[in-house]
Amino acid sequence: MSSMAFNEGVQATNDDASECKRCAVQLGYWEDRYISLFVRAGEKKTPEINRGYYARAKGVEMFIDKFLKKSGSERQIVNLGSGFDTLYWRLKDSNKNVTNFIEVDFPSVTARKCYLIKRNKVLLDKIHMEDGEVRLSATDLHAGNYHIVGVDLRNLHEVEVKLNESEVKFNMPTLFLAECVLVYIDAPKVEQLLSWIAKKFDSPLFVNYEQVNMGDKFGDVMLRNLRARGCPLAGVGACQSLNTQRQRFLRAGWNGSLSWDMVEVYAALPASDRQRIENIEFLDEQELLVQLFQHYCICIAWKGEMFSKIDIT
Amino acid sequence: MSVSAEITPSVSPENVEEAEKMKEEANNCFRKQDYNKAIDLYSKAIELNPSVAVYYGNRSIAYLKTECFGYALNDASKAIELDKTYVKGYYRRAGAHMSLGKFKLALRDYEAVTKAKPNDADAKIKYTECSKIVKQVAFERAIRVDDTKRSVADSINLENMVIEDEYSGPMLEDGKVTFAFMQHLMKTYKEQGKLHRKYAYKILLDVKQLFMSQPSLVEITVPDDSKFTICGDIHGQFYDLMNIFDLNGLPSPSNPYLFNGDFVDRGSFSVECIFTLFGFKLLYPEHFFMSRGNHESQTMNQMYGFEGEVKAKYTAQMSELFTEVYNWLPLAHCLNGKVLVMHGGLFSRDDVTLDEISKIDRNRQPPEEGLMCELLWSDPQPQVGRAPSKRGVGVQFGPDVTKKFLELNGLDYVIRSHEVKNDGYEVAHDGKCITVFSAPNYCDTMGNKGSFIVLKGKDMQPHYTTYEAVPHPNVKPMAYANSLLSLIC
Repeated sequence: MSSMAFNEGVQATNDDASECKRCAVQLGYWEDRYISLFVRAGEKKTPEINRGYYARAKGVEMFIDKFLKKSGSERQIVNLGSGFDTLYWRLKDSNKNVTNFIEVDFPSVTARKCYLIKRNKVLLDKIHMEDGEVRLSATDLHAGNYHIVGVDLRNLHEVEVKLNESEVKFNMPTLFLAECVLVYIDAPKVEQLLSWIAKKFDSPLFVNYEQVNMGDKFGDVMLRNLRARGCPLAGVGACQSLNTQRQRFLRAGWNGSLSWDMVEVYAALPASDRQRIENIEFLDEQELLVQLFQHYCICIAWKGEMFSKIDIT
Repeated sequence: MSVSAEITPSVSPENVEEAEKMKEEANNCFRKQDYNKAIDLYSKAIELNPSVAVYYGNRSIAYLKTECFGYALNDASKAIELDKTYVKGYYRRAGAHMSLGKFKLALRDYEAVTKAKPNDADAKIKYTECSKIVKQVAFERAIRVDDTKRSVADSINLENMVIEDEYSGPMLEDGKVTFAFMQHLMKTYKEQGKLHRKYAYKILLDVKQLFMSQPSLVEITVPDDSKFTICGDIHGQFYDLMNIFDLNGLPSPSNPYLFNGDFVDRGSFSVECIFTLFGFKLLYPEHFFMSRGNHESQTMNQMYGFEGEVKAKYTAQMSELFTEVYNWLPLAHCLNGKVLVMHGGLFSRDDVTLDEISKIDRNRQPPEEGLMCELLWSDPQPQVGRAPSKRGVGVQFGPDVTKKFLELNGLDYVIRSHEVKNDGYEVAHDGKCITVFSAPNYCDTMGNKGSFIVLKGKDMQPHYTTYEAVPHPNVKPMAYANSLLSLIC
């Protein structure tokens, strides 16, 4: 498959993820006042998908909150493969200030995001700093402490350049987010990227959401399905088990790593909220959802002392 | 009206004042119908002073106006949580519930208001109005099913439907299904073609009449030297259905079939499946049988794809007609008085007889409890006794329940479906409760095998055939909508 076609397939996953998130939000699974500004309402999704995205959104959010609690007042967030993520605006709304916020994705994705931001007052208002200017290129946006940069994550040198353009601070506690991103990149490149982060940043915390337990029939079927959509999972080697997820970080020079499948993550979310969302849509059977949850995970890794005690409880 | 203006230690007087200002501004925007701006300002007020119920209450109604019913509900609940005496909060939540069509829940909130303010005339009026709506909705539902004069079936006018010259699809002969028609139909479907709506409607009208003439429990005689095939869930997997016929032969008087429910939903080709099955039913009414599954119901069809598919390929009116047809599907079949077949399973009480099952008044949507519900929803469990169903509907029943039921009714074993199984089938309860599931690689996701059961009239012993999924065209968006894992990426 040509690299162009590959890129397109992977980039299209943003469209699906954004549409699914919007669908779930509209049904009341969680709050996100901004997602509908980036993506149109799509076909109704089945309850499993809505619950799957709920677990993903809330699971990742749980670790973002833990990061913010431990980081002190000066902190930085770098979202790799961010797509149309709305975290920046939601953090602003809940007064959780961040010193620097950088989003990274393919240039064609960031170009669309920049375009959508440019023409929407609600979005612009929140990133507009009183005294600052908004620097825009076709694919990049720099506005005060909010940066969007278009670059291929497989190109480490370019990534470094773009991060520097985004006033990245290597010595500040930094949260790295990746939702179904590393799995599309082949192992050597991922190792390169992760090693570089571990080397350059003093106090990083990486939160990775993606596939796991891919060695069974279910995993086979998933691989086939995704390949047919132009998304070969080049990095799926690290997704064989919770252990391989952790090992990938440890081999790349991170000090520690923990991982949980989404069954555990979902169970760790507040019971009252789980009950609330379980009442939104009736699920006729559990099998599909359980399989889904068993094949996705959150894996965290850290360097240094600051985030070494983070756990799922 | 009580207003909560709690000043918690952490909110400065300046913020309290500022928040009130935001609220006033927001109210102004609301009056001018600038709801989004109002929402923003209420949000600012909340940021400044997060413990004021009124802010949430007001934002709730602004959300209602912008049709963000989920948020409206959240805010109303939050308002109530902050101040249980804030009556408007209940109004707001009731409003959100009304918009979400949850009239009974709305009624509860209106009731809370009337209890809190027994002398409030307005509260009483709202309660009465809501009460009327709840009764009206219940009434409409009831008469829709009972009153055949208002049935969709009666309003279909086939005469007015014209077959265009360009139509090259299958045609009923003199309004009837023939073997040639079925061959042409399956071929057309394999090539992703379409059946003309005139014939589609005719099939539905005729098959509805046919099912209406059958009892809720159908007794089937399988002659000694005859075979009989039972298939489980198909779930819109048309190409796998074709594979079953390739493996086991097309239905015919010497090759009778029983399809045990869940013909539609989740798969992308539910329309093709159901018309193929209904076609064979009309062609061989005494040798082709269909049992109702829990997915042959309105709520399931709305959520799991069938209604959407029918609306896309035909019309909403046809979707309503399907509901009427499904309401008449038999609930169980008994083979040679020895083997009972139903989609879900057995019951929450011990003394259920076949006679009772045959007397079930089934022309309705599946109820939330009782025999008809349990026939469609229950699951076997390994432990003895019974337990509440993991699905939240129906019951889980143990080997002792199965044994007692079989003994009481002189049966050998039951066959049911309803649960996906890795190998396509599973034998439980010491051979007395068999699950057969015929949709392989369920939802393009599970990687399971499919299976069907063949038995001979002479000994009525089950023989299992299992098979893998066959390829199918990728039809966006349905295929992807149901291919779970392609979407969590």
